[in-house]
Amino acid sequence: MKGNTRNFYMCAILFCCAIVFSSFIRIKGADKIAMPYKKAGLTTEQAAAHLLSRFTYGAKPDQVEEVSKMGLEKWLKKQLEGNLDEKNLDQMLSQYDAINISNSEVEDRFPQGPRITRWAVRDGYLHKDSLNTGNNKYQREILQTYMKDKGYRPLQDLYRQFFNQKILRAAYGENQLREIMTDFWFNHFNVALNKTQCASFVPAYERDVIRPNVFGSFEALLLATAKSPAMLMYLDNSASSGVNVPMEDQEMMGMSDTGMSTEQKAKRKERVKKIQQQIQNKKKQGGLNENYAREVMELHTLGVDGGYTQNDVTQAARVLTGWTVAPLGKEGYGVGNRNLIERLGPSGLKDKGFVLDGDFFFNANRHDNGEKIVLGKKFPAGGGYDEGVELLKMLAHHQATAKFISKKLAVRFVNDVPPTSLVDKMAKTFTSSKGDIKSVLITMVNSPEFWSEQALREKTKSPFELAMSAVRSLNADITQPYELYSWINRMGQQMYYYQAPTGFPDNGQYWINTGSLLNRMNFGLALASQRIPGVKLNLPALNSNKEPESIEAALVTYSKLIMPERELGQTVARLKPMLNDPNLHQKVAQAAAQNSAKKDSNNTGMEMQNADTKPAKEKMKLGNGRKANENPVVKTQAGTNTMLAQVVGVIIGSPEFQRK
Amino acid sequence: MVSRRGFLKAGGLALFGIGLGGIPGFLADAVAGTVNPPLFKKKKILVCIFQRGAMDGLMAVTPFTDDYLKAARPSLFMTAAKGSGNEKPLIDLDGKFGLHPSMAAFEPMFREKRLSIVHGIGSPNNTRSHFDAQDFMESGTPFKKGTTSGWLNRAVGLLGHESATPFQGVSLTSSLPRSFYGENPAVAIRNLADFNIQLRGNVAGAKMASKSFEDLYDQTSSDLLKNTGKESFDAIKMLQKTDVRNYKPENNVVYPTTALGNSLKQIAQLIKMDVGLEVAFAESGGWDTHFNQGKDTGFFARNVNDLSNCMMAFWNDLSRYQDDVTVMTMTEFGRTVAQNGTGGTDHGRASCNFILGNAVNGGLVHGLVNPLAKENLEDGRDLAVTTDFRSVFSEVADVHLGIANDKILFPDFDGKKIGVMRA
Repeated sequence: MKGNTRNFYMCAILFCCAIVFSSFIRIKGADKIAMPYKKAGLTTEQAAAHLLSRFTYGAKPDQVEEVSKMGLEKWLKKQLEGNLDEKNLDQMLSQYDAINISNSEVEDRFPQGPRITRWAVRDGYLHKDSLNTGNNKYQREILQTYMKDKGYRPLQDLYRQFFNQKILRAAYGENQLREIMTDFWFNHFNVALNKTQCASFVPAYERDVIRPNVFGSFEALLLATAKSPAMLMYLDNSASSGVNVPMEDQEMMGMSDTGMSTEQKAKRKERVKKIQQQIQNKKKQGGLNENYAREVMELHTLGVDGGYTQNDVTQAARVLTGWTVAPLGKEGYGVGNRNLIERLGPSGLKDKGFVLDGDFFFNANRHDNGEKIVLGKKFPAGGGYDEGVELLKMLAHHQATAKFISKKLAVRFVNDVPPTSLVDKMAKTFTSSKGDIKSVLITMVNSPEFWSEQALREKTKSPFELAMSAVRSLNADITQPYELYSWINRMGQQMYYYQAPTGFPDNGQYWINTGSLLNRMNFGLALASQRIPGVKLNLPALNSNKEPESIEAALVTYSKLIMPERELGQTVARLKPMLNDPNLHQKVAQAAAQNSAKKDSNNTGMEMQNADTKPAKEKMKLGNGRKANENPVVKTQAGTNTMLAQVVGVIIGSPEFQRK
Repeated sequence: MVSRRGFLKAGGLALFGIGLGGIPGFLADAVAGTVNPPLFKKKKILVCIFQRGAMDGLMAVTPFTDDYLKAARPSLFMTAAKGSGNEKPLIDLDGKFGLHPSMAAFEPMFREKRLSIVHGIGSPNNTRSHFDAQDFMESGTPFKKGTTSGWLNRAVGLLGHESATPFQGVSLTSSLPRSFYGENPAVAIRNLADFNIQLRGNVAGAKMASKSFEDLYDQTSSDLLKNTGKESFDAIKMLQKTDVRNYKPENNVVYPTTALGNSLKQIAQLIKMDVGLEVAFAESGGWDTHFNQGKDTGFFARNVNDLSNCMMAFWNDLSRYQDDVTVMTMTEFGRTVAQNGTGGTDHGRASCNFILGNAVNGGLVHGLVNPLAKENLEDGRDLAVTTDFRSVFSEVADVHLGIANDKILFPDFDGKKIGVMRA
């Protein structure tokens, strides 16, 4: 009892010290937010619009005004804390039952397809001779029954919930910068659903490995990814193994044989030969896998020009041998290790140098415990798990890493080709703050480069950002987020399926190409005309239900609403003549009449669908004959709404809205 | 930022003299008659088909005289000899190799020396993971995961001339495959008919929006958006010259109504539209035959039947263009020599591939397949990789597309060729 109390006080004191100390650093360090936008000649509103365009998924109606009133510094500070109340979002997310489950639960409840088939055979539901790789109906039905009986669910359900939550978080979450950074770091430490071995673990990876670490120390983030099942499987480190030579042999091999008797020498020679033979055999089996070791240097830390060699890659891979995934679920991954872990028990594991930490397992038996040298640093024989941690820490704090990460952040938030002066400042902060991500971000916004002419509107929205900024600016009501996911895919960003470990490139050239650009325009039209199922808009409500006096007025009003603080003269000027086309009203009203006719009559539904493929002229004729067209009230209302939707659709698809 | 590509492209397009909303004159000609205007200097076209899932090369093209194989596959092995019951025999190609009977469509091409087969082809990286092996084959760097570009994208970059259209590299998939990742232009189109400004149920609205967009993009201050916008609208006009929905293949060809058939049909359309296509990509699935793969009938037979019929439909549809087109298949690895416990085969190493074209060194089974005795097998179980896939891909790219720079196309590759093309 007494001991516990004392411990409690000790902890409390330490905790207080930590708080005092950290706040001391905060006051003293570079963490004060002081954004030089006034010097750059921007008004508070303009600056707020810029800040929101980079640090959120797009400003919501009136948000520029709100942030301006609140103060940009205060807003950013709260965003960097990343713990704003999410009552609204949580409410929406509560409909998904699988977005918070652990990797083990995923293995138990959402087993991979082939595994289900295997188990169905084992449990006597299917006979192995009746198996076919095809989708034959009989087999599918039996498998469905089997899954129902066992309570298994298809992995696609899990993925879909995962996509949906991502979209809802971006669209409705208060902690916008946390989501932006989650996206950034996920892409930096990319894993992909295309690789089945890691796919099941991707949802937990984003939730538990990336999101909690986005503002903290880079070292913590790097370590968390290195130990995560998703990354261990994606870049194959889980399968990488070396020869574990007992330490006494290890020492013996390193010793000189002077002073030994001839007999001892001969014995030693034989033993060394045997060990070397073992190592050779293991090598033949291809135990070492360098994929993770290479990419952790090339893509996660140092960068391709970070000054490492192929030999460093091989040595680093040796350091990381034995880093693998813990047994997950009842029949999930790592059954072999489960027996080992049960046999040894917690103390046995510890004594023998194994580490079991959540979903991570360091299998000492598969670890190459010889001496290694990486980037000139010596890792003496017998380093075990700790040397891997040491290696990752060294990489996390390396000079090249400071530069590489700073540049990548600057590319994300400032310009596709960020100024060196800015990157240097950020890298300096990275080093002095020991890789504190928040500090690096603050240095970025405190720099004039962030607010310069070369930064404003210079980034191109990714398809995800485009879709999110559109629904946010229009206050859309999303009940089927997956529909947006599909559109984002069509616009060229198949989220969570970027196959290469590089992640999606972060530049306008990549996102803007012929096919994707057309789909961006089509997205705008589909969204505004409410053709995306489960995404509802109330366009008149955006303008306090005031009907614009003319189409031209609608254009000006809604352009301002959707793109606050932008120079819109060009956009408006270019669109005006089109809108003043005398035939336009007629055309649009006809189209609207067609639409309402379609809604009115179930009987003509088929006919109208067929009409889609007919030439436009003929179709209009069809429209003219419709009953709805004869009703002037319906005609006007439908006409106005269609016109408004048309205007908004064009704004969303306009070049100006593709920029942020 | 104006890229050199964007600038040249914009310039190139200006030559066509397309007015806002109008149809370029040459297109009108093309629609009116059978005139095939020399819009682009005649270009060669490489069509790649990725068979995802790893095709069993030993069943597609069987070394039927090999008794080891016969022993290892008691219920899968087929022979070229006419014999028992209704089972169709293999098509004897050269006394050693037999083509699967469901690929009979290929036989005439092989006899005419326009089809060549490479056996024992695969990756030097011995991974047996679909994902990793496809990734390596598509990036073209079998030991490097972090390669940003795909080999077909690099091929586009190495063609040596700027593209005047966005259709220089086209993938008939919903998103760009790894092979096309990279800086050079490539587009993924699943359906040509969808390549337009669309507003369902409102054609007039779509037309008006299209005009608005065209004008807006034409005037924007961002060069990237401006050039790509122009490119997009010109591309729409190019595609609109034909009624893509009601395409009529030539020579009474009927494409199989499968995913691959549909893809190849659209590639044929693009080729005939003369929109500057040079590198095309399509996919074929269902090759991961762990269970009951069948013999002369069944799952595998249906797959190879589709593959060969689709390729031949494409080939015959393009009779006027055959000198310009080469079709090459690829698959991430082969399958185990021995059959498994469920009437199928598991992940192995080498497989085979098919190259169809007038410039191939056809009528031959290239490569090396040693007797399938255990000591000759890779890891004691799989057909050994004796030809690096890069050797074949680079030779085809070199001879057909004139891409000689292997250092860029396949970095870290020794450049050895085996003569699958006629030099």
